[in-house]
Amino acid sequence: MSVATATEATIGRGPVSAAKRETAYPGWFLLPAAVIYSVLFLLPTISSLYFSLTRWTLFDATFIGFDNFAQFFREPFLIKGLVNTVIYAVVTSGMKVVLGMALALLLTSRIIARGYLRSVVFFPVLVSTIGVGITFTVLMHPTNGMINEGLALLGVKGPGWLTNPNLALFSVALVDVWKGVGLATVIYIAGLVAIPRDYYEAARIDGATPWQNFWFVTLPLSRPATATVITLSFIGGLRTFDLIWAMTKGGPGFSSDTIASVIYKQYQAGFFGLSTAGNVVLFILIAILVVPLTMLLNRKRGHE
Amino acid sequence: MKNRASVISGIAAIVFSFFVFVIPFLFIILMSFKDRQQASLRDFSWPNGFHLWDNLVAVVSTRNWMMVTAFINSSLITVVSVTLLIVLAAMVGFVLARRKAKWNGTIEFLILAGLMIPPAVVPTIWLLQGLKLFGTLHGMILIQVAYNLPFSIILYRAFIATIPRELDEAAIIDGARPLDVFFRVILPLLWPVTVTNIVVQSVGIFNDFTNPLYYLPGSSNATVQLTLYNFQSQFNTSYNLLFTNILLITIPPLIVFLFFNRQIVAGMTAGAVKG
Amino acid sequence: MAGLELRQLRKSYGNVEVIKGVDLNIEHGEFVVFVGPSGCGKSTLLRMIAGLEDISGGELRIGGKVMNHVEPRDRSIAMVFQSYALYPHMTVYENVGFGLKLAKTPKDVRDQKIREAARILQMEHLLDRKPGQLSGGQRQRVAIGRAIVRQPEVFLFDEPLSNLDAALRVDTRMEIAKLHQNLGASMIYVTHDQVEAMVLADKIVVLDGGVVQQVGSPIELYQRPANLFVAGFIGSPKMNLLPVTVEAVSDGKVTISSKDLAATDIAANSSGISAGETVTLGVRPHALQISSSATLVGRVALVERLGNETNVNVELPTGGQLMAVLDGDQPLQIGHGIALGFDSSDAVIFDGEGQARHL
Repeated sequence: MSVATATEATIGRGPVSAAKRETAYPGWFLLPAAVIYSVLFLLPTISSLYFSLTRWTLFDATFIGFDNFAQFFREPFLIKGLVNTVIYAVVTSGMKVVLGMALALLLTSRIIARGYLRSVVFFPVLVSTIGVGITFTVLMHPTNGMINEGLALLGVKGPGWLTNPNLALFSVALVDVWKGVGLATVIYIAGLVAIPRDYYEAARIDGATPWQNFWFVTLPLSRPATATVITLSFIGGLRTFDLIWAMTKGGPGFSSDTIASVIYKQYQAGFFGLSTAGNVVLFILIAILVVPLTMLLNRKRGHE
Repeated sequence: MKNRASVISGIAAIVFSFFVFVIPFLFIILMSFKDRQQASLRDFSWPNGFHLWDNLVAVVSTRNWMMVTAFINSSLITVVSVTLLIVLAAMVGFVLARRKAKWNGTIEFLILAGLMIPPAVVPTIWLLQGLKLFGTLHGMILIQVAYNLPFSIILYRAFIATIPRELDEAAIIDGARPLDVFFRVILPLLWPVTVTNIVVQSVGIFNDFTNPLYYLPGSSNATVQLTLYNFQSQFNTSYNLLFTNILLITIPPLIVFLFFNRQIVAGMTAGAVKG
Repeated sequence: MAGLELRQLRKSYGNVEVIKGVDLNIEHGEFVVFVGPSGCGKSTLLRMIAGLEDISGGELRIGGKVMNHVEPRDRSIAMVFQSYALYPHMTVYENVGFGLKLAKTPKDVRDQKIREAARILQMEHLLDRKPGQLSGGQRQRVAIGRAIVRQPEVFLFDEPLSNLDAALRVDTRMEIAKLHQNLGASMIYVTHDQVEAMVLADKIVVLDGGVVQQVGSPIELYQRPANLFVAGFIGSPKMNLLPVTVEAVSDGKVTISSKDLAATDIAANSSGISAGETVTLGVRPHALQISSSATLVGRVALVERLGNETNVNVELPTGGQLMAVLDGDQPLQIGHGIALGFDSSDAVIFDGEGQARHL
């Protein structure tokens, strides 16, 4: 980035030189990271804008305008993937916010076995997504799965979690929440313990009920944590691939496809241009959903 | 009063958490102790005898000790890319936190973009092929560095902003050159956040499935996650082996969790409070 | 032997000039204090001398050599920071020796210098500790030790006492003064505390708004302040400043009066001052005495009894305030009248520009 200044500074080291003096914060410190990031991330991202407009074999690309995108919004299974992506992101992030907040409230209260509970809730975050996916695929088996066997003991006939096309996406989302709620919880815990005790004491003197305490103190003051949880899990939800791939591969049919799984399927099928167009669609989707969302979440934070 | 309520809600929480969070792991463990016949029932039952060792040997020796190769590959990718991440991200974080330059805004934008934008896979493959890095561990390492830099930089920059600038100045007066200031004064002080970085990034990279799936095709350079994924179809009649494999790749994160729980939580919640 | 010369030294950030052409000579071995209110540019000036801030204009010489573009390490300076800036991950021994290590000083020489500095500062027993295990005063010593081993021609201190409690501050102040006597090096010391400046300095430089207001010995500044700013800044309690009208002017003498003050002759450089003009009369609280031939009459508003002296706040008939410091314990009562006089040789006239008219 500033190779020129850096070299200049190295040369100008003599005692009475008029050259610019060396800085303790040389610009070339940015260089190695900048090269790796630009070549392997920025360059492909930018070139994807072009390749998404082509029929592409990796060896040669034929410009076909917006055909790939048109196809994306024409084919029912591709539209399905688009809709599923949004549903999946909304469901998982919504559940993580609500459950994360609830668990955080529970785990910051004076409850026994707090350390054990925190560990147990958090540990799935660190486990391999593929491992979790495989395990739950087995557990959710409609007849042999432990979940339905357990429900049968209670006299309930469990559904075909991953075999029912209307349910498959939500079942995967449920596993995603199971695996990810620990992260939301620890973020909320960090946010909750940072709220000064004074507010609760002031509220108590004002005669607030526990519910008012939550509604007027805890909720507004944990807003930064909420913003982080929503942003993180929403972006994660939109990009999700590995869990879906490990559990349903988008099936049954296309009922649980998301954009990320569509991208992989088109790539496998050799439709590189279409696959890249899927990437651009996902990129645009994230941009138009997440940017306004973060702006909304970070609004009115000046007074904190 | 208060005490009894907290004991009751605590017991309720323990029971609930046992069913929701503990049983799936117990299931994995029990399955890996069973023989093939019993495992095929896929129920929550006590193993008829101790078959863990047999299962382990079977898993590890399958397909020409593929699991061993995969463990070596995954460890190599994790160790090298985390090392690179630490040094490069700390350098960027340092300059970014200390120097008010006109390109800071651009860099910050690129960092946020890197956190949000999904990588464009096929163009990346095309590029890696051009660089003769496709399907190689080197390529995979550089990809992991590129994709995970933004998060590490954010962690480092926030931490460096809390180190007083007078410390750099004292070092400059003492005669330190830029590299001395960074490597002898600043970098040692970053140790807490470096540990956080190591732990969080190692877990993430070790568990990564999507990127090796795209960029490391074929079996010669497979990682543990890829191996597990491939075993899923291969072992669909030997659930005992499948779950032994899951157990095996859960051990590294478990060890990390036992020793560095605090740093992981610190790293993952960094910025949550201040936004 | 290294003195310092500052010639029209300037510093600006963008369009904002914070140091506006400072000229200063510092002799070898002198103890110079930069004093002024916060934001006056004193720290910036010190950091420009250290090489931590670039010089926008003018010339800095140390030991006769131009230093504008020289790296801090080659300026033969050492600096003690306000927060001490000790390296938290190094022991005291390593902290003190870090500069020598960077300069690739042989290990035995290094060891000898570190131990010598520790002996001077009586901190041999602290060498193996980390800064986190030290008290504020001990950290201060280590910071000074780190400066000493560099054997600099010039020591730079940036508000070194401001993080210490009151008692420790007085002790450390004396130790720095002793250190200066023992080492004989030049020292430049920045503070906003005029008492520190008065006690320590051979030469005080009063700064305000990036401009040197006055340079001189402590007594000079106290007795002959150059302008209203210096008069108000140096001395505690503050000098009384009263607006007065010029009655008559003659060579070397100005006759003044006001509604609170009977006509009085004050010795002053009267050139350019004409009768009828409004000027400012400056009288130190210590110069006021209870007197029958009183020139100022008012009412006692507040009394502070310190035992050896009595501070009296006097309200003048026109509403003005006056501070007097009287010897011993005075039997004064709030609300009662009081009559004060002063020796006209203790008074200073400031013209309309705020400049003092010393003879």
